Amino acid sequence: MDAAYNLARWLTRNDQDARDVVQDAALRAYRFLDGLRGEAKPWFLTLVRNAGMDWLKANRPAELTAMDPAAPELQRIEEQTPETLALRAVDRRTLNEALAALPAQFREALILRELEDLAYTDIARITATPIGTVMSRLSRARRLLAASLRAIARASARKVHE
Amino acid sequence: MTNDDADRDVSAAIREKADYHRAPESLVAGVLAALPPESEAPRRPAWQRWLAQGAAFAGVAVLTWAATVAYLRPGEDELRADEILASHVRATLGKHLIDVASSDQHTVKPWLSARLPYSPPVADFSAEAFELVGARLDHANGRPVAVLVYRRRQHIIDAYVWPAGSGVKAGELTRDGFHLLRFGAGDWSYWLVSDLNRNELDDLARLLARGA
Repeated sequence: MDAAYNLARWLTRNDQDARDVVQDAALRAYRFLDGLRGEAKPWFLTLVRNAGMDWLKANRPAELTAMDPAAPELQRIEEQTPETLALRAVDRRTLNEALAALPAQFREALILRELEDLAYTDIARITATPIGTVMSRLSRARRLLAASLRAIARASARKVHE
Repeated sequence: MTNDDADRDVSAAIREKADYHRAPESLVAGVLAALPPESEAPRRPAWQRWLAQGAAFAGVAVLTWAATVAYLRPGEDELRADEILASHVRATLGKHLIDVASSDQHTVKPWLSARLPYSPPVADFSAEAFELVGARLDHANGRPVAVLVYRRRQHIIDAYVWPAGSGVKAGELTRDGFHLLRFGAGDWSYWLVSDLNRNELDDLARLLARGA
């Protein structure tokens, strides 16, 4: 249940909607109990993820259109050279904000991989994506997050100088 | 600096610093309350249900038998492995994971010794990324037993500890995605149970053995 709520919370970014999403997924799970094949956790997370995506579609449609992976802005950000500087020293709040600001697809990939410690095959199943796409999405998500952390670090450095 | 290094840094930053949102208790209660009662379960023809149950039962029986033959001498140990796995699953599913929540061995140890006929060693391994989150009392083989609860990332590891009889037999067992690891250390006998991978579970076993 913690894993379900955590994923829902990161997708919807607020407590009440995350609760609704988990409730919804639990009811779907109950209705489709026959669909249970293999391990229960990835299966249940699939339902949570789908309920979360439905919620985004209904309430934050802009977020889903904005995450077109071919968007030129994303590609430009990814091409920057990585530096380590900002990453090691980043504080909790900044990291959480940057993570929450990532497009939903990248956000969910990182949550499932880094916080739930799931295997690529499970993530592929949960997000209904080929495993190769999962891997490239994860690596792009990490680069995007690093880039946005660097941007935040630069902005605050400027503020200090002024 | 390569892309790989940067990736690892980002990974580590998320694992260490991103919020992990645990389900509020009111949500857990609400979800359970919203589910229809048992009797309203989705209907299938009775013969199908019996067939499914029979198949599941046969499957469990075969697994139990195979595990017994492969890993354990029959008798007491087998019973213990089953009981311990069941106890671990009950604890992680429900809310009764920890009776005393503390990473301080000087809090946990007296709490346990006040409630048990023995006083097991208690150590926190936060430095090695096995954080002691607390302890609980559990029952195995009809006796109360101390359970130290460790956390590594999102994995819970239960360490069942009791005074060793003579010659503790080491053993391991994997069932339903859980690893069970049995070993003796000093005067103590341990069972570790977790969904954590085997290598990391071995690491914790080594730390416990060194401490005991």
